[in-house]
Amino acid sequence: MGEHLTFIGSVTAQLVRAVPVTLLILAVSGVCATVLATGLTAMSVARSPLPRLVQRTWTFLFRGTPLILQIFMIYYGFAMVPWIRHGILWAAFRDPVFCTCLAMTCCCSAYIAEIFRGALAAVPRGEIEAGRACGMTGFMLLRRVIAPSLIRIALPSYSNEIIMMTKSTSLASTITVLDITGVAQQVIAHSYRTLEVFCAAAALYLLINATLSTLLTALERRLDVDRAPTPLAPIPPTLEPLS
Amino acid sequence: MTVPPPVLTATNIRKSFGDREVLAGVSLEAREGEVISILGGSGSGKSTFLRCLNLLEVPDEGQIAIGDVQAPLARNRHGRLEVSDSRAAARLRTQTAMVFQGFNLWPHLTVLQNVMEAPLRVHRRDREEVLATARSLLERVGMAGFHAAYPKRLSGGQQQRVAIARALATNPKLVLFDEPTSALDPERVREVLALMRSLADEGRTMIVVTHEMAFARDVSSRVVHLMNGRVESSGPPAHMFGADASPAFRAFLSPAAL
Repeated sequence: MGEHLTFIGSVTAQLVRAVPVTLLILAVSGVCATVLATGLTAMSVARSPLPRLVQRTWTFLFRGTPLILQIFMIYYGFAMVPWIRHGILWAAFRDPVFCTCLAMTCCCSAYIAEIFRGALAAVPRGEIEAGRACGMTGFMLLRRVIAPSLIRIALPSYSNEIIMMTKSTSLASTITVLDITGVAQQVIAHSYRTLEVFCAAAALYLLINATLSTLLTALERRLDVDRAPTPLAPIPPTLEPLS
Repeated sequence: MTVPPPVLTATNIRKSFGDREVLAGVSLEAREGEVISILGGSGSGKSTFLRCLNLLEVPDEGQIAIGDVQAPLARNRHGRLEVSDSRAAARLRTQTAMVFQGFNLWPHLTVLQNVMEAPLRVHRRDREEVLATARSLLERVGMAGFHAAYPKRLSGGQQQRVAIARALATNPKLVLFDEPTSALDPERVREVLALMRSLADEGRTMIVVTHEMAFARDVSSRVVHLMNGRVESSGPPAHMFGADASPAFRAFLSPAAL
């Protein structure tokens, strides 16, 4: 029993050193996918048909194919393209972490764009009309009226997608990245102690996701004005900052 | 006595949704201080007409002017009327305000923030001044104690009173009311109507789409009856609710009188 614990302890220490790689992939692809999804959402409500077609095609392709194939295609496939292989881009495409981030950005942006699109459609028309009726246009309307509602509507599904992304980062291990899963497989190759190593790796993913979901739930609660108390105090004589 | 200048001039407004012609040429002029009630059965086009006045709907035909500023409507290459300058349209809207049937307060802002939003962000007025105005308006509509509450915590009547305060916060030349009491229970209708009456008394220019006959009769300076997308009859309430009212308007009133 003591030997077990010592082994799990040393494995966990090794796996923890790989956590930054997992978090890096998650952070980069999470941020990029969200930014890209925002653009795709804007395209989905564009007046002209071309951007709408691009958004639909993007979603069709990247939501319809397995992420692992996308990763393989970018990492192994692009290496076969001469102008990438011998061009300036090779510095990026030879890096498996970059390829994973790129594939995950493309794939997850398609999902997140669908979440945003649905949330945008669910923003009550009346709130937007009230904004237009008092003279708001374009960016101000988006920032002051549409976005606050959209974020609140989208947040639960968006949180779900981020959790899914955390788990998807483990696919990086299939293209030689030494993330948590990658290191776990490496340790197993040396020790043949499958169960303990995978359990330790799973525990780390659980820990990451528990932290993320706690943060996202806290954000959700913070934004939920219905939970806020309704003080019946008189209006303060001094100005309070309006957030 | 001089005639006050027109605040709103709408000329020959037409609007169709698909094959259905909702407005078949409606004209209306509102002079300063006038309270115009627009009455009509459902589907008579009254809400659509009101929404054309601040270009929430773009009419198919016609002209609109607020004061002496023409609404920027021009034909596109397909011959359809459209807003030719969205900034100019927005500027025009800043001269007006609208109160909606469904209140449409911004749910993520407090009562006070809702009232301060337009003068602060759209009109870019001084914060202190906007706050002072907002405070006195909330006082005025009886919602001063609720400044920090979020709209969803309020009753319908309270929300509508806040929405009226929000509409007045920019000191608009014209306030458009789109069935402001239709979503309220009778108890709340009274408090909102009393507030609207006090606005009329202070000389606000108002156009009110309503089903409240008593309000139309007692408060408005002019009543317009819309039927099938046209002005069927119009005139001062004494005339419209008097013995020589048009038969169609009387027919419209009679079920309400039951």
